[in-house]
Amino acid sequence: MNMIRGKARLLGDDINTDLHCSSKYHPGRDNAYVARHAFEQLAPGFAGRFGKGDVIVAGRNFGNNSSREQAVHILRLMGVGAIVATSFGRQFFRNCINNGLLVVECDPAGVVEGDDIEVDLGDGRVAIAARGIVREAPQLPGEVLAILAAGGLIPFLKAHPDWQVQPPAASRQPPATVQRS
Amino acid sequence: MGATIAEKILGSHAGNRTARAGDVVVAGVDFAMLHDGRASNALKRIEQLGAKKLPFASRTAFVADHYSPPPHPEAANIHREMRAFADQHGAVLYDVGDGICHQVLPEGGHLTCGDLVVGTDTHSTTYGAFNAFGTGVEGTDLSAVMMTGKLWFRVPETIRVDLKGRLQAGVWAKDVTLHMLGRLGAEGANYKAIEYAGPAVAAMEIDDRMTLANHAAELGAKAALLEADEKTFAWLKVHGARAPRPVTADADARYCQRMEIDAARLPPQVARRHHIDDVVGVPEVEKQRINYALIGTCTNGRLDDLRQAAQILKGKRIARGVRMIVTPASRQVWLAAAREGLIEALTAAGASVEAAGCGTCVNITGHLITGDGDVVISSANRNFKGRLGNDNSEIFIGSAATVAASALTGHITDPRTVDGGTWRPASKAA
Repeated sequence: MNMIRGKARLLGDDINTDLHCSSKYHPGRDNAYVARHAFEQLAPGFAGRFGKGDVIVAGRNFGNNSSREQAVHILRLMGVGAIVATSFGRQFFRNCINNGLLVVECDPAGVVEGDDIEVDLGDGRVAIAARGIVREAPQLPGEVLAILAAGGLIPFLKAHPDWQVQPPAASRQPPATVQRS
Repeated sequence: MGATIAEKILGSHAGNRTARAGDVVVAGVDFAMLHDGRASNALKRIEQLGAKKLPFASRTAFVADHYSPPPHPEAANIHREMRAFADQHGAVLYDVGDGICHQVLPEGGHLTCGDLVVGTDTHSTTYGAFNAFGTGVEGTDLSAVMMTGKLWFRVPETIRVDLKGRLQAGVWAKDVTLHMLGRLGAEGANYKAIEYAGPAVAAMEIDDRMTLANHAAELGAKAALLEADEKTFAWLKVHGARAPRPVTADADARYCQRMEIDAARLPPQVARRHHIDDVVGVPEVEKQRINYALIGTCTNGRLDDLRQAAQILKGKRIARGVRMIVTPASRQVWLAAAREGLIEALTAAGASVEAAGCGTCVNITGHLITGDGDVVISSANRNFKGRLGNDNSEIFIGSAATVAASALTGHITDPRTVDGGTWRPASKAA
């Protein structure tokens, strides 16, 4: 059962993670530095408030125009348990799958900063019990779920170098929340 | 039900299965590319994967283009790692000054019609000009390809765009892509493939077709696909490519959206400051003074782009207060431009012509950082605030012809209104 529970940490629309969560414009800065300052131009103190296992809840085009995989490594370093957003930039979404970070397309309307949020990938459901919010999330294809279940493409290929994709079993280990970069 | 070009290429590379939009396939890749902007991460992922052998290395190009030459020790050191890795594993290496990844790959004969090509850059859509499915991926993806020769792909839906009629003289593929951005919005084609077709596309030479496919990246497109024709085959043959396996869409292919562009009525376009999808016809911004005019990048750094500029500027001087920088997309383009006298013509007109590379596209290259209040018109692909290193600066985006005409007058100018601005390339026979 792929279930993530954490506090909702809100961000807006069209977030460019290359800009706000990578060292693209800060050569020589390590991931730890970037993680400490992630999204601070958009939401001052965001990284400081973010707790391990918390869930980013955002609007349209999260990862807009953003193709850097490093941003996902930094999000893992911050301890992001999952990202729920109305929509995602294609390459950012792909990079999350490849690095075992749960991404769910879902309307965030009504979610308030700090809400306890539950993301159930197996059932395709996002819920905030305290507000009576229960929303469906689109099912990801079996191959993609298998890569997520393995913790990302590299662990998947270490286990299955021939790309033999099995749909995930009914009960799965959740992916590790911290991945070495 | 018939198939789109994207469905056919992904299906044929995934064990000849029928692939339809929404399917996930594991497909064999024909060629891969890694550039110095992403090499640090990619090399770490390859190490993390820990493959004993990398059989695909010989079908991978490592390209030093973003940091050409390196502007800081981090870049210089990643170049050293790239050279060592390419040498050890037999990857193709394009070094400082050879040119931009998306230019050197086709020039090097590494891809052909019907191919599936991945690159660690969003503008990998460029390869669609050659009827190849080219898409941007990252380091983890590249490590998977290097070890297994395959990668997972979700088959995209396709937007079909038919260009009716023919572009006017002085109007170029860049004006089409800007028009598309104005209509769909940045990321308006997110996750989708775009098929461009119609007489206006057929009339484009290869340089402009590359612009058309390249700038689809700003629409968020996964791939941009053109049909192949005699121009494509001739170009590929001259550059030593493998035999083409052209792919066309079926007449009954299913598209998620169909669009038409009346090419003959399209005037030159400009994306205004900070937003690539805030697009207007050039006449709307003609009073806008500029003090930088930039030609180059994978979007518009090819021979026809330099020819457009030289046609307008030869024998003249750029306006007082304007700095112009021209960066050919590759060493091949640079040499061809030199042989035609374009380097001399542009330099004599007051432009600075650089060695090939990504050049003034983005401040991380170290080639140009703008001052407070500077206004740039560029043939590059993006113009978000701060792209050239200064939030207190503005970037407008246009075709090479629009940039050159603007350099001449000192304000944004419709190239059709200046001498040489209505030049067209002579159509090349096969």
